[in-house]
Amino acid sequence: MDVLTRNNVRESGRGLRAIVFAHGFGCDQNMWRFVAPEFESDFKVILFDHVGAGGSDLSAYDKTKYSTLDGYADDLVEIGSELGLKDAVFVGHSVSSMIGILASLKAPELFGRLVLVGPSARYIDDGDYIGGFSAKQIAELLEFLEDNHMGWSAAMAPSIMGNPERPELAEELTNSFCRTDPEIAKAFARVTFTSDNRGDLSKVTIPTLILQCSEDIIASEEVGKFVHNSIPGSEIVFLKATGHCPNLSAPAEVVSAIKAYV
Amino acid sequence: MSELGPIDEYQDLFENAPCGYLTIGPDGRISKVNATLEAWTGFSADKLIGQRLHQFLNMAGRIYFETHIAPLLRMQGFFNEFALDFETAAGQRLPVIANAAERRNSDGTVLFTALVLIKATDRRRYERELINSRSELRKGLAIERETAELREQFIAVLGHDLRNPLAAISAGARILQRSGTLQDDKELRVLDMMNTTVTRMSGLIDNILDFARGRLGDGITLSRDANRPLQPVLEQVVDELRTASPDRSIETSFAIMEPVNCDRSRVGQLASNLIGNALTHGAAYQAVRVGAKTEDGVFELWVANAGEPIPAIAMGKLFEPFFRGDIRSSRQGLGLGLHIASQIAQAHGGRIDVTSTPDETRFVFRMPLQSN
Repeated sequence: MDVLTRNNVRESGRGLRAIVFAHGFGCDQNMWRFVAPEFESDFKVILFDHVGAGGSDLSAYDKTKYSTLDGYADDLVEIGSELGLKDAVFVGHSVSSMIGILASLKAPELFGRLVLVGPSARYIDDGDYIGGFSAKQIAELLEFLEDNHMGWSAAMAPSIMGNPERPELAEELTNSFCRTDPEIAKAFARVTFTSDNRGDLSKVTIPTLILQCSEDIIASEEVGKFVHNSIPGSEIVFLKATGHCPNLSAPAEVVSAIKAYV
Repeated sequence: MSELGPIDEYQDLFENAPCGYLTIGPDGRISKVNATLEAWTGFSADKLIGQRLHQFLNMAGRIYFETHIAPLLRMQGFFNEFALDFETAAGQRLPVIANAAERRNSDGTVLFTALVLIKATDRRRYERELINSRSELRKGLAIERETAELREQFIAVLGHDLRNPLAAISAGARILQRSGTLQDDKELRVLDMMNTTVTRMSGLIDNILDFARGRLGDGITLSRDANRPLQPVLEQVVDELRTASPDRSIETSFAIMEPVNCDRSRVGQLASNLIGNALTHGAAYQAVRVGAKTEDGVFELWVANAGEPIPAIAMGKLFEPFFRGDIRSSRQGLGLGLHIASQIAQAHGGRIDVTSTPDETRFVFRMPLQSN
C-alpha cells in the first residue's frame, strides 16, 4: 500500500529542510493548522494522520500492529524513507512525542532535532514516579470513550473521508477532525495511556526541546521535567499557555519557541 | 401575565432553566453559572467561578475535554451533544449531555465559551446498557463461531479418518471376490451388499469432507481438464450405482460431442449425487433416466425419476445442507448430496434447476463448455 495515502501525508512549504508535525491522541493533523503554515516559508512542511485518525486509510488499521507505539513509529519511519527525509525537524504533540523518539531510535538519520509538545513517558503512576493517573482512571477513560461516539457511523465514515469539498457532506463534517471509529479510539487511548517509554529517553542523542504547558492535566510539569531530565542534553521551555493543546490555544507562543530552537 | 418584568423574566430563565448554564472566560476559567447547575452539582457559584471546568469532572471527562472538546471548540467554534460526568459536592456522579459554543469578538478573540448542560442520568444508563448488551452479544457470537469452527474441523477430521477403515473393508471384499472361495449364492449376495455399502459410504464421506472443506473456507476446488473425455466418467458412475442397486433400472442417453472444460471427477460426483437422490426418492418400479449433451456452448446433464413430486415447501430448501425430505426410505443420507452437487455446479459457473410434477421430477445441471 502507498504509505503517503495510508497516512494522509500532506506536503507544503518552500524550504529545503523538512519539518514533520505529528498529532496526538484525540484529533488529527488539523491540530497543527495554526502552527504549520508559519513554517512554510523556511521549511518543507509535512503533516500526516496516524492510521485510524483523520483521513488515514482505515483499512490499514491492524489491531496487533497498533497495539504498541512501535507500530506507529514504524509508520513514521516509512513516511520518512518514502519522502527521503534526512536530518528533519520532528515536532510531536502528546503521545506522538514518544512515537517520534521511537522512530528516531529506529532510524537515527531521519531527524536532526526533536520538539516534544506536552510529552509524557508514562501516564500511570508507578511507585515514586508520578504520571498523573491511576490504572483505574485509565480504565474508566476507555469505558467513557464509548459514551462519546461524536456522531461516528460506520456507514458514513468512508463518504466523508477525502471529500471535504462536497458541500452536501458539510453537516457530516462536524466534529470530523476528532471523529474516530470508537473501537480505534479506544485502542489508541489504551496504547497511549498504558505506554511506558521511560527506558527509551536516555537513548536519545538528538538535540531535543520540550515545550511544557502550564496547568496541563494530561502531561503535568513533573512529567515534563522527568522527560527533560532523562534525555541527555535536552532543553525545556515552559509555556504560558494552559491546557494540553497549546498548538491550538496559543499557536504564536508555540511557533516562536520552535523557531528559536531550530 | 407574569408578575416579573421582562428583564427579570430573562434573568429567571437563565437562573432556573431546566438545564445548567455555564460560561468559561478567555482565561479558561468558569465565569458564570446558573442556579440550576449550582443545585445539581451542590457547589455554590462562588465555589465554581474562577475554577477550571475540569476540576468538577471525573478523570475520564477531564482527559476527553482536553483531547477532544477543547480542540474541537477551537477548530470549529462549537461542539454539540457530548457526554460529560460531573462530580458533585456530595461525591456523586452527575452525567450530562452538553452543547458548547464559543462567542468571539469581531477581531476573532474569544469572549467566552458557553455550555448548556442537560441532565442525562437515565439516557446514559440506557446507552450504557445498549453498549453492554452489544458487547455481551459480541462475546457470545465469538464463542459460537469458535464452537462452530471446532465442530466443522471435527467433521473434517472424522470424515478423513473414516476413509481408512472403509478402504480396508473394501480391500478385504476384493480379496474375497478374487480368491473365488465364496461360491454360495447367498455368500456372493453378501459380498455384493458389502461392495454396495462401501460405495455408498465412500460417497457419503466425500460429501462430508467437501462440506467441511467448504465451511472451513477452502471451498470446492477444481482441477479442470477439457482435453479428456467426460463420458467414460459418467458411465462409470452409472455402473457403480447399478451395481449398488441391482434391483433398479438406470437408463442413459449421452451425446457429449464437444470438450467440456470441467473437473471430471467433480462432475462425476455431481452426477452420482443426483442419481443417488433419484434412486432414493424416485418410484422404485420405474427407471431413473440420465442424459448428458453439449449444445450451444452449454454442457447439460439431467437426471429424471418418476414418483411423488417434491412438495412445494421443500423446493426452496433442497440444496441447503442437511436438508432431508420426508423419511420414506431407510436409505436416507446426511442430506449433503444435493448441497454438494449445487456447490460443484457453482464452482463450474453453472447451476442446477429442478422441476417436479406428478409425471416426473427432473434435476438439470447446466454449465458453460468453456470457463471464462
